[in-house]
Amino acid sequence: MIELVKIRKVYRTGQVVYEALKGIHMKVNPGEFIAIMGPSGSGKSTLMNLLGCLDTPTEGFYFLEGEDVAGLSFDQLSEIRNKKIGFVFQSFNLLLYSTAFENIELPMLFDGIGRRERRERVEMLLERVGLKEWADHRPTEMSGGQQQRVAIARALANDPPIILADEPTGNLDSKSGKEIMDLFTELNREGKTILMVTHDHGIAGYARRKVEILDGQISTDTPNGFGHPTSPSPESPV
Amino acid sequence: MFFKTLYRDLVRQPLRTLLTLSGVVWGTFAVVLLLAFGSAVKEQTMKSFRGMGKGIVLVFPSTTTMAYKGLTKGREVRITPETVETLPTKLPETIEMVSPDFSRAKRIRRKKEEVFNTVRGVNVDYEKMRNTIPAKGRFLNDADLSLRRRVAFIGYTLAEKLFKEEDPVGQQIFIEGVPFTVVGVLIHKIQTSNYNGMRDEHAAFIPWTTYTALYGDKFVNCFIYRPIHPEESPQSIEVLRNHLGDRAGFSPQDKDALQIWDFSEMEGKINIFLLSLTIFLGMIGSFTLLVGGVGVASIMLVIVEERRREIGVKLAMGAKRRQILAQFFLESITVILTGGAVGFSMAALLLKVLPMDKIKDYVGVPKLNPLVALATVATLLIIGLISGMMPARKAASTDPIEALRG
Ligand SMILES: Nc1ncnc2c1ncn2[C@@H]1O[C@H](COP(=O)(O)OP(=O)(O)OP(=O)(O)O)[C@@H](O)[C@H]1O
Ligand SMILES: [Mg+2]
Repeated sequence: MIELVKIRKVYRTGQVVYEALKGIHMKVNPGEFIAIMGPSGSGKSTLMNLLGCLDTPTEGFYFLEGEDVAGLSFDQLSEIRNKKIGFVFQSFNLLLYSTAFENIELPMLFDGIGRRERRERVEMLLERVGLKEWADHRPTEMSGGQQQRVAIARALANDPPIILADEPTGNLDSKSGKEIMDLFTELNREGKTILMVTHDHGIAGYARRKVEILDGQISTDTPNGFGHPTSPSPESPV
Repeated sequence: MFFKTLYRDLVRQPLRTLLTLSGVVWGTFAVVLLLAFGSAVKEQTMKSFRGMGKGIVLVFPSTTTMAYKGLTKGREVRITPETVETLPTKLPETIEMVSPDFSRAKRIRRKKEEVFNTVRGVNVDYEKMRNTIPAKGRFLNDADLSLRRRVAFIGYTLAEKLFKEEDPVGQQIFIEGVPFTVVGVLIHKIQTSNYNGMRDEHAAFIPWTTYTALYGDKFVNCFIYRPIHPEESPQSIEVLRNHLGDRAGFSPQDKDALQIWDFSEMEGKINIFLLSLTIFLGMIGSFTLLVGGVGVASIMLVIVEERRREIGVKLAMGAKRRQILAQFFLESITVILTGGAVGFSMAALLLKVLPMDKIKDYVGVPKLNPLVALATVATLLIIGLISGMMPARKAASTDPIEALRG
């Protein structure tokens, strides 16, 4: 489903040249649940941005469902982000002056989906994340855990096959974090491919494959979940 | 969706919205008023010019300042009405029509009402040249001239003074004790400039033949002519000087022998002046509006800055850059057009309720003509376009990664 070949990302700021990713090879099959770990500044977010088509690599190939997306323009990538990728951020990134309903609706607006279908899907998604009664509330009236669940509902709006989450529990207490991870586990069971960056080994334990990044390169890539205390059903990766 | 977002953005900070709007409101208000006044002044001035006559030249015989053919300088130039009336036949290439003009203030009486107003002796063509169009009755005709009839065409103010509500046509008035029959009354027209005596509205016009017979004048006070080609009026004056110089005894080079008042030339100059006035006023207005537009643009830039995260989210969710561009552009345009509509309505209302009677004769009645409306809307659109595009482009070029960080 995803294949990265020799991906390099070089940042240039004035005279300073910094190589954030130094040749990443990676293959992701449909239905995987991957935790990406590594020290701060190792390039995790850079990798996620490339995977999410928010950025383009300096060098290398990125095949997404067979299509080479490394060379597409920004607006072409918009289309892909809209239909194939759901984003979940550490700081939720909800629109503060919009209600939960309007936030979830957002990706569908850019896909030109009709009002009626939008309403049905938003209601379904709200129910799905357990926030049925919160449709007309704004993010400022909700707890962090609730906000992140709205954000997940938004990520699911166009039913994308892939979910990318950069430290989704980073701003949450452990109880809310666990709720979010239970939701991810459920979504993964239903077939969503999930890639998640985390610093927390407990959180990483929910994933079934662990990729470690060190200094812009993959250092270890291992199946996960053999007897970890917080790990759920230890199934082997697909 | 768009309007909901817009409404929310505008209501969120009412004071800021009010300030943004007020710049545009004020600018539009100024543009409309200035243009309306400009076009009114223009219209009025042109009208009062028509009151004087279109494309005519006034000639005042004066005093020579050069010796000529043995004649000393300082002589009075004297021209007879007969010489004047032969001009169109003598100079058929140059002069289309002509009228002698005698004028003096005389006692004009009817019953107990008596005034001391200008009486003019003229011919039939005077009507066409000076636009002395009758509201009632007629102007002087050929028979009046050839038979030296004692008939008079009178100004409307004079008519009101002597006749009050009555219809003057066919009635008698006495000029220096001599009975005259009123044949017509002048229409109301605007006339801000004048020569030799009172304005037309106060004057009585009689055949010059009657005038000379009664008062014994031999030489005209002045005469009016209309050149065949109004745009060549300066050349026609040269031709006239040459022609009359021989007969009246002055050098064609003696510019002071005939005092000339060339209306077709003045009309052109005044036209240019009025055009520049209108452009000038329009520019002042547009600058005011531009300031309003700059206000909108800078506030929208602040809004874009504040909403970077929102833009980043939308881009991540699949918004195309041009959708972001459209959103912010429409927001600015909506603010500007709303402000424009308010300013426009305010100006229209003011023009409607403002009492204009006192200034009417000089600057006319400023009103919203289609041209003013069109010019304002065009200016608004241009300024809206410019000041909407800047923040919109900034918004559309937001880097989503940068905006979503943290
Ligand atoms: N736009 C940029 N310009 C220049 N350098 C950048 C830019 N974005 C990231 N970097 C650099 O690239 C390196 C990798 O950054 P990245 O954000 O991917 O790290 P990370 O692994 O996500 O770290 P953290 O765990 O702190 O989030 C860092 O050294 C960072 O300074
Ligand atoms: Mg990071």
